[in-house]
Amino acid sequence: MSRWSYFLRRLVLSIPVILFGTTIVFMLVRLGPIDPAAAIVGMGNPQGIERIREQLGLTQPLWQQYIDFMINMFTLDLGQSWVIQPGRDAYSLVASYAPRTIWLGFWSVVIALFIGIPLGFYAGLNPNTGGDYFASFGGIVWRAMPNFWLAILLVSVLVQSQDLLFGFNWSNWLVTTDILSPPNLRFLSTPLEAITNPIDWWVSTGANGSFLAALKQIAPAAIVLGSASMGNEMRIGRTAILETINSDYVETARAKGVSGRSLIWKHVFRNALIPLVPIITGEAFLLVGGSVLVETVFAINGIGYLFYQAALNADLPLLGALMFIFILITVFTNILQDLLYTLIDPRVGYESE
Amino acid sequence: MSSQLPRERTAGETVLSVENLRTAFFTDKETIRAVDGVSFDVREGETVGIVGESGSGKSVTARSIMGLIKSPGRVLDGAVNFRDRDVLSRLVDSNRKRTADVAGLSGAERADAVDEDDFAFVEEWDGDEPADGYVDVTRVPDSALRTLRGNGIAMIFQDPLSSLNPVYTVGNQIKEALRLHQGLRGQEATEEAINLLEAVSIPDAKRRVTEYPHQFSGGMRQRAVIAMALACEPKLLICDEPTTALDVTIQAQILELLSDIQEERGLSIVFITHDMGVMAEIADRLNVMYAGEIVETAPVEEVFENPKHPYTQGLLESIPGRHPGEDRLRTIEGDVPTPNEPATDCRFSPRCPEAFAECESVHPVSVPVNEEASDHTAACLLYPEDQSRESAVETHRRRGEDSEEALNE
Repeated sequence: MSRWSYFLRRLVLSIPVILFGTTIVFMLVRLGPIDPAAAIVGMGNPQGIERIREQLGLTQPLWQQYIDFMINMFTLDLGQSWVIQPGRDAYSLVASYAPRTIWLGFWSVVIALFIGIPLGFYAGLNPNTGGDYFASFGGIVWRAMPNFWLAILLVSVLVQSQDLLFGFNWSNWLVTTDILSPPNLRFLSTPLEAITNPIDWWVSTGANGSFLAALKQIAPAAIVLGSASMGNEMRIGRTAILETINSDYVETARAKGVSGRSLIWKHVFRNALIPLVPIITGEAFLLVGGSVLVETVFAINGIGYLFYQAALNADLPLLGALMFIFILITVFTNILQDLLYTLIDPRVGYESE
Repeated sequence: MSSQLPRERTAGETVLSVENLRTAFFTDKETIRAVDGVSFDVREGETVGIVGESGSGKSVTARSIMGLIKSPGRVLDGAVNFRDRDVLSRLVDSNRKRTADVAGLSGAERADAVDEDDFAFVEEWDGDEPADGYVDVTRVPDSALRTLRGNGIAMIFQDPLSSLNPVYTVGNQIKEALRLHQGLRGQEATEEAINLLEAVSIPDAKRRVTEYPHQFSGGMRQRAVIAMALACEPKLLICDEPTTALDVTIQAQILELLSDIQEERGLSIVFITHDMGVMAEIADRLNVMYAGEIVETAPVEEVFENPKHPYTQGLLESIPGRHPGEDRLRTIEGDVPTPNEPATDCRFSPRCPEAFAECESVHPVSVPVNEEASDHTAACLLYPEDQSRESAVETHRRRGEDSEEALNE
């Protein structure tokens, strides 16, 4: 079996996974103790509750509801919100909340990637030196700090930065921003201005916000969200480098006269990346779960925050839709992981030949 | 490139001469003298075997010759002199400052002409180009080592399963060597890689060149590794237990391949193994190593017919099938000691069936086993066998003290 038919098989196999996951979502949402009718009209109105139940289709047999739910989800008909913003399409709600979460997720992956992996590779290439000990110890500490604790700590330090950091004022640094407010991403809707009107787009703090301001606002939350993965990537990266650099094929390459730089870049790095792939893609799961927490602490009204609200308010269709989206994200990250594996490691998919 | 320079050398000239090599590993607990004063020569077109138990220092010797010793290991002293005109002229070109001109000099004059950090020694000039001379690998800095590695001395490792990089095709890895040492690229390199795979008898080389190592069997991989070494056009090939991980039939094929290649290309080979049977197949001369030292050196037939050192005798006795009808295989009692102190006695004496009192107080040096045998030496107080025991012990004591003084200077 070639690498590509292996990848195709993984793609097809993801369909039953999504089916199964969506079924679990249905069970969680419909069989749980949540009564949306009561949430809509209040507990003191039994006739109202009965009427609403009928309107929402909750009186139908469960299997009927299940089939409807599955058909709706798989035709991407995500339904409407019942409680949070009654009558509004789940689509449009997600569309208005998602950009901030994507912005947060993107930077938390990128920051972790670009700090964690180089640090780990540095430590692995200079084992048992001061720099290695410093990076390794940092990695463990960073990994060990729980999200919620780090988030609160960071917020409190940034709010009091004037007093704590010898007059360094986070709010006024570079561009003036609030600490606890969602980033203004309106500048993203006019991407052309990045070239036509660069100063406004990149740095100014007008009504549309700017790249720099949005980045600065999201940075603390992104660092908190990416912290665990950063520590992981650092530690796995270090081990991977050490393992690869002492392997026989690197010795062979050295013995045939490959020079230092080419040895590291060609023979060591690519092999060291293999164990890092699942770590990097595994972050997506953390991001989905972690964003609920971090968005709440940093007052970023993104998807995580919306999910939290939907769960609290028994907004069943919205809850189901969001969980379905989370499942899709998870499954597609897994597929991305397989794709990366297929690209990096030729041995993938070989065993069944 | 290299084929343009004439290789006019009388057959049997020395290609590599290892002189009193000492390599040690420094750990927190102790200093392990893995290689402790090893000397041997390799002549053109010759196969020199190094045989010994696990832990006797065979592989460390090989790695020291390649300059592959990594921290916490270090070559303490001694020289690994490699004689090859191409390598020498390239190293001299790029390192004029660290070249010693020793043409026509000898003895004290020679010592004066050599600076502390010189590593290339030119004995004869041809205009501005060095015509003859050698490079001392132990002194070559890391930046210059890669000129030497592959092209001068290539190496084949023990485990063919792990000595190819799993994420690149076999062709890619051979082409890398071709690019580094012959300047071939693109289509030209691919064709040469296919030729090399054919030269090591890999069938269907055109297709194989685009395959990954995991698609090769063990014996095929070792062939590919040999092809990769040949792509460097080396003068000397070091084989560190190249057949140990292979089964017996494949082993025989690889040995045959190596001797064919040697004949075709005039390679010199240093062959390391713990398998006496393999040695008998391939080696011309044999060095027997024990605890970091060479205890016996002789042409291979001589070792098998007339072993002198008690250790060599024990090794040969322990080959299965030597004594048919016996219930148990013969062994040498005990283990190889870890050489962590400078030797003041015979390191083999605790296991030696013929040990006597002086074995524990005098360190034996390599001496001819008797007056007639100039190419058969043993480091054992029993030899030279035509002297009385007292005078033989005295010879060893005196020569040991001499070399100690030489070291201290």
